[in-house]
Amino acid sequence: MDKAVLGLFTYADELLDAAKRLEGSGYDITIFSPIPLGHEIEHKLGPRKNHIKYFTFIGSVAGLFFGLLLTLGTAAMYVLPRGGRPIWSITPTLLMSYETTILIGVFFTLASFLFFSKLPSFSRKIYDPVINVDSFGLLIDGNLRGKYDEVERILRDHGANEIKRVEETEYNS
Amino acid sequence: MATHHTSDYQTGELKSRDLSYPSGGGISYKEVNEDVVRTMTQTGKWYYLALAGAVSGFLAFWILPWAYQIYKGQGVSGLNTPDFWGIYLTNFVFWIGISHSGTLLSAILFITKTPWRRSIYRSAEAMTFFSVATAAVFIFVHMGRPWNFYWTMPYPNQRQLWLNFQSPLMFDVFAISTYATSSMIFLYFGSIPDLAAVRDRVTGWRKQVYSALALGWRGTDSEWHWLFKAYTFFAVFIIPLAVSVHSIVSWDFALSKVPGLAKTIFAPYFVVGAIYSGSAGIVTLMVIFRKAMKIEKYITLNHFDKLGMLLLVMSLLWSYINVVEVFTGWYANTSAENETLIYRMFTTPYAYMFWLMIFTNTILPLLFIFKKCRTSILACVVVSLGINVGMWLERYLILTTSLPRKFLPYMWHDYIPSWVEISMTLGSFCFFAMLFLLFVKLWPSVSIYEVKEDIGIPMRKGGGHH
Repeated sequence: MDKAVLGLFTYADELLDAAKRLEGSGYDITIFSPIPLGHEIEHKLGPRKNHIKYFTFIGSVAGLFFGLLLTLGTAAMYVLPRGGRPIWSITPTLLMSYETTILIGVFFTLASFLFFSKLPSFSRKIYDPVINVDSFGLLIDGNLRGKYDEVERILRDHGANEIKRVEETEYNS
Repeated sequence: MATHHTSDYQTGELKSRDLSYPSGGGISYKEVNEDVVRTMTQTGKWYYLALAGAVSGFLAFWILPWAYQIYKGQGVSGLNTPDFWGIYLTNFVFWIGISHSGTLLSAILFITKTPWRRSIYRSAEAMTFFSVATAAVFIFVHMGRPWNFYWTMPYPNQRQLWLNFQSPLMFDVFAISTYATSSMIFLYFGSIPDLAAVRDRVTGWRKQVYSALALGWRGTDSEWHWLFKAYTFFAVFIIPLAVSVHSIVSWDFALSKVPGLAKTIFAPYFVVGAIYSGSAGIVTLMVIFRKAMKIEKYITLNHFDKLGMLLLVMSLLWSYINVVEVFTGWYANTSAENETLIYRMFTTPYAYMFWLMIFTNTILPLLFIFKKCRTSILACVVVSLGINVGMWLERYLILTTSLPRKFLPYMWHDYIPSWVEISMTLGSFCFFAMLFLLFVKLWPSVSIYEVKEDIGIPMRKGGGHH
């Protein structure tokens, strides 16, 4: 089985330069970092899409209708006369729907986050625990046969302080 | 000189900045990991003593009196016609109020990209969750027959009964359960990268637990990207949700026709009061937390300075609304409203409580005009404790000076809490302390990755390393 190459960097700008160089050469790359580098990565490698917002919107609208259905529907099915007050009362209906809009919106956002980030994931994957401390990682994956030397040279030239050939079985969590 | 870079959130451009952490000293990424994991794994005897005290207090002051109340009936409390709310509902509103700053403040400061949020927000969010839990238990205490709580849940049942959604108490059930759920999600998902960092440092049973909690987090750019997007939406949801929760709590009272309760200003009054008492709660908790966990370099005097300013602003807002509340009642000049005001402001023992509340919530926080006081730990403790004493009294006065003075004088009856109610009030503080003490040992209570963000991104160009 082909091994992937993992380069560990101390400096984020060197990591991003290496990532840009390797991505431009057609390699599959994954960036690891102990802190979010979202803006820096987008600045260097281009903007990324945000699909979560559609799920959040759909969830919120679903929550709104769920709240309306729950309050108005049950009021219609189980009529509780209360001293001449309307059976379908607008204010409490809106209040309950407001809460369910948020609740279902949060659930949909949560589900979409788990879906897009592919979490939870307990299968063995390439990872190095130093990434969660103070190192930035650049993983080059895919068909690397015959290209190891070139990839490692690029990583070294860009300042990687450690380069490893790794397999998924080396996942260490 | 060693420099780090921080990104401009609007342009994404990297800008260099001074390395110094707000505490003044340079801190390395590795040190942050070690310090936070140390708070979880190294435990001194004082921790065990504090935990033993909190658990004992919880059992002795809350569980036993509650068991006694369930066995003997609600009559052992001081609740009786015309005041069926008393201290239990006071505590409910108080703890909901305490919950209001943690998650809400965290969400607002996250959206506005305020840097001083980063080292305090995790424990503040935990404070929210635990105080909501404490408040929720008071609903069960107050129910009399807590085993029937499921009657408030909407589901098809053999009783052929559905909920009356027009009751403010049902608004409460939905609002508080939504708030508790969202706060828990906000706390947990913001912690995943730190749970992974802990996973990588511990062994034994902890390794298994944190491996499960971290969900297999590796810190890839994709994981960070989606977490950040989702977290932003959670924060956006939390802000209106928190405002709605305390508005709804206020409508438990304001939607009645009782003099002293039927006030249109109650929703903003309660929301402001909740943020005020919650912020004061954060200050008190942070003073104890930073000292006990020896993390003064992360929670610095700069944080207390900023929180002090927030308390000062909230104090002025709260005082203004309080004046409006009293003066509109006075201006209305109806006999029922006047009686409530006189009863609250000029009749013993309530007058003592009322004027003590004005002192602690309006006069005392004026000390925070001076930076010297905002950055004095002693002043922070005195003022923040004073505010929470005042805020508890505020809720107590609202509930115990209005219902006992309703329209018909023959129904007037002073409310006197029984030992059972007072004991459970003390017990609730023990319960909260117990939950928080467990939290600091089981959860990374300072955000590792966000403190690292605060330190800056290590860049070769422009200098060395942290």
